[in-house]
Amino acid sequence: MSITNNAGTTNYAGTTAIAGIGATAFTKDSGRTPMQLAVEACVLACEDAGLDPSRVDGMVTFSAEQNPEIEVARNLGIKELKHFSMIHHGGGAACGTIAQAAMAVASGQADYVLAYRAFNERSWHRFGTGVQANPAGAEASATQYAWTSPFGLLTPASWVAMFATRYMHEYGATSLDFGRVAVADRKHAATNPKAHFYQRPVTLEDHQNSRWIVEPLHLLDCCQESDGGQAILVTTLERAKDLKGVPAVIAGAAQGVAEDQHMMRSYFRDSITGIPEMGLCARQLWAQSGLTTADIQAAIFYDHFSPLVLPQIEEFGFCERGEAKDFIADGAIELGGRLPINTHGGQLGEAYIHGMNGIAEAVRLVRGTSVNQVPGAENIIVTAGTAVPTSALIIQKYR
Amino acid sequence: MSDADDATFLAGLQAHVGATGTAVASRDAVNEPMIRHWCDAMEDANPNYTDPEHASGGPHGALAAPPTMLNAWTMLGNIPRILDPNDPQGGVNAKLDAAGYVGVVATNSEHVYKRYLHPGDLLTSKQKLVEVSEEKQTGLGIGHFVTTETEYYDQTGEHVGSMFFRILKFRPGTGRPAAATAGGVERPKRPRPSSNPDSEWFWEGCRERELRVQTFSDGTTVYPPMVRNPRTGEMPDTPAWQVSSGRGSLYSYAIPHHPQVPAFDYPLVVGLVELEEGVRVVSNVVDCTPAQVEVGMPLEVCWLQADDDVVLPQFRPARPERRTTTRTFDEVTVGEKLPLCPIPITPTLIVSAAIASRDYQAVHHDRDDAHNKGSKDIFMNILTSSGLSGRYINDWAGPDAVFKNLKLRLGAPNYPYDTMTLSGSVTNKEIVDGEGIVTIAYQGLNSLGAHVTGTADIALPLVALARS
Repeated sequence: MSITNNAGTTNYAGTTAIAGIGATAFTKDSGRTPMQLAVEACVLACEDAGLDPSRVDGMVTFSAEQNPEIEVARNLGIKELKHFSMIHHGGGAACGTIAQAAMAVASGQADYVLAYRAFNERSWHRFGTGVQANPAGAEASATQYAWTSPFGLLTPASWVAMFATRYMHEYGATSLDFGRVAVADRKHAATNPKAHFYQRPVTLEDHQNSRWIVEPLHLLDCCQESDGGQAILVTTLERAKDLKGVPAVIAGAAQGVAEDQHMMRSYFRDSITGIPEMGLCARQLWAQSGLTTADIQAAIFYDHFSPLVLPQIEEFGFCERGEAKDFIADGAIELGGRLPINTHGGQLGEAYIHGMNGIAEAVRLVRGTSVNQVPGAENIIVTAGTAVPTSALIIQKYR
Repeated sequence: MSDADDATFLAGLQAHVGATGTAVASRDAVNEPMIRHWCDAMEDANPNYTDPEHASGGPHGALAAPPTMLNAWTMLGNIPRILDPNDPQGGVNAKLDAAGYVGVVATNSEHVYKRYLHPGDLLTSKQKLVEVSEEKQTGLGIGHFVTTETEYYDQTGEHVGSMFFRILKFRPGTGRPAAATAGGVERPKRPRPSSNPDSEWFWEGCRERELRVQTFSDGTTVYPPMVRNPRTGEMPDTPAWQVSSGRGSLYSYAIPHHPQVPAFDYPLVVGLVELEEGVRVVSNVVDCTPAQVEVGMPLEVCWLQADDDVVLPQFRPARPERRTTTRTFDEVTVGEKLPLCPIPITPTLIVSAAIASRDYQAVHHDRDDAHNKGSKDIFMNILTSSGLSGRYINDWAGPDAVFKNLKLRLGAPNYPYDTMTLSGSVTNKEIVDGEGIVTIAYQGLNSLGAHVTGTADIALPLVALARS
């Protein structure tokens, strides 16, 4: 075992691992209940690890998840659940579930923790419709919408568009620069049989010709709505070594909320062209792992909307602020480039499972089993939802 | 009428074409009170029109009338209209009225100015009928376009200006049906802002048409509201606020297209507005097209009654400041844009400007009459459209710009409670006979479409005029 983490800012970075991943088919109409999807994904993650599901003793999910962990636990035959937590703020929770699972196993509170997310977000409640009526109630969770909803800013795409316009204004980025993210994702999805857009790549022209959703976002800037489930099994590196597969080391795991944070509408900060909460995650990851950008072979950047991929590249320090458009101009983020991203096709190309499918892809990359394998993949960055309180990981090949 | 009757009728109308009417002398000489009425109604503050001392140092050498008043001076005013049977337009109008084409709207006006007029000038006009169109179906109704050319002379016989003018005489009630409206179905309301004591003062302010910005005792302004000032630890029992000037600039924006929610009109522009008080607010940018929206544009607050007890702040382009110095010819570049200028169309504006232009047509001040003539409400007259267009260009160019002409075509009517937003750009500049002539193309859009589309040639000083 070689743990490269000498920075040692946590007790879980480098000492915990992902031992199993499991996913349902990703579809537009699963024909099944979300509970069936959740349980199937969890069972598959345990099978991947060679662990009897009844031995799971911790569960972490999103507060947005509609399949309660106790109901999933019943179905898995779990007898004792010793850690259970839920993380708020939509897709920003994705990597946070792994961070909290890692903390739970590193602390000894639990031994085997499942992180999961499952929904019929296309065939049942469509996410893209957003918030068309204000939530009732006078608590802050409801009144926060008063500052945006009465003006027609109702959907995640519209919330993100406000950042994108300003980013374009300050840095001279154009819709074409956002399009390059879509083209890369769809190129990778085209060779991933699990992806919804398998064998359906797009060109920049396709991107430019796709209809407006919210200017400056075209349809092809926006992720899919999907049905499906994804589960990830986390344990200590020591335990993982005794399980079936090769562990994927959690070299870093962080959550972040930055000053004056709002839910997708942090419009009131001095600058709105960066993602300071992602910068906070990045700094923690570098410190926890002792790694630098030079050690990273690929990244899974959360791509609910393509414009916010660019500032993520900047927040992690792969280029200077405002220069991501130049960084990606020559195909750097495509397979074979300097920093391939979203080799599974991302949420634009594979499926939108609230970022959890991206964590699974990072595990495949360090195992060497991705359908779009990056040669020499040692350290992979994974990020969670942007513009929301967020989280991020570095997944490391076990040696 | 049969086709043969139609042909005969048209021939009767067109028999007048080419005829020139008798000269009409203006009832009043160009005079300061009428100029001031006009400037008040049009909100035109150019001192060359009202301040003799200032005007004496300007390009006209003395107090001048706004050039767009040209045809106001010879308007008949509110006196019984005795149609001169020899007057070609009068004759045509009488025939059209008798045949049921009683509706009238002006559609085109093209002024050419030889010189600005001064108090004491007494005008005489001579009008020539140049065209009567075949019967046409228009949006307003079935009718004939009647085109005239008028020459204006002063008391010495000097030719001071001319006007090409076109009106539509139409049969009320024969227009194209308005787009079907959802009769009887109440439109869904916008999402209601929910509030509690931490924020209710803001919405209460909106109902008072006050944009309130929370302040702490250290002078910090915040938005959205907070219960504690994290800088000082101040935690007031009740929030304190200041009333915003309502002025700001556009920091960013989004234009939702999909999904469309019935409570909103699309295209919808949602703006992030940076207020002068230092905070940003999310609102809508209204009274301009999405293509006119750009980061940094100056904005001013206006209000939307979204529900019985919900008033929302909205932002429209800020009315540009009137320039007090005049641009020189060299300072202007072809392609340069004039700033957007919103003009709220109030009944007061429509009526006061119609009367200031001596236009007593009842459709410009009497809603019942407007209804009877097939119009949904009173509407702005063409002299007002000219006057406002002139003011817009003059305010951008500076007080000593000299208009050589002003041409415009009217489309969608300006009805009360709408807003017309003027935009324009420089399309040409050249030296003509030693003068620096700049051509402006302009347009005024309201909620129904283009109210006015036109051009103007103005002379700008070649060197800055030295004025104290």
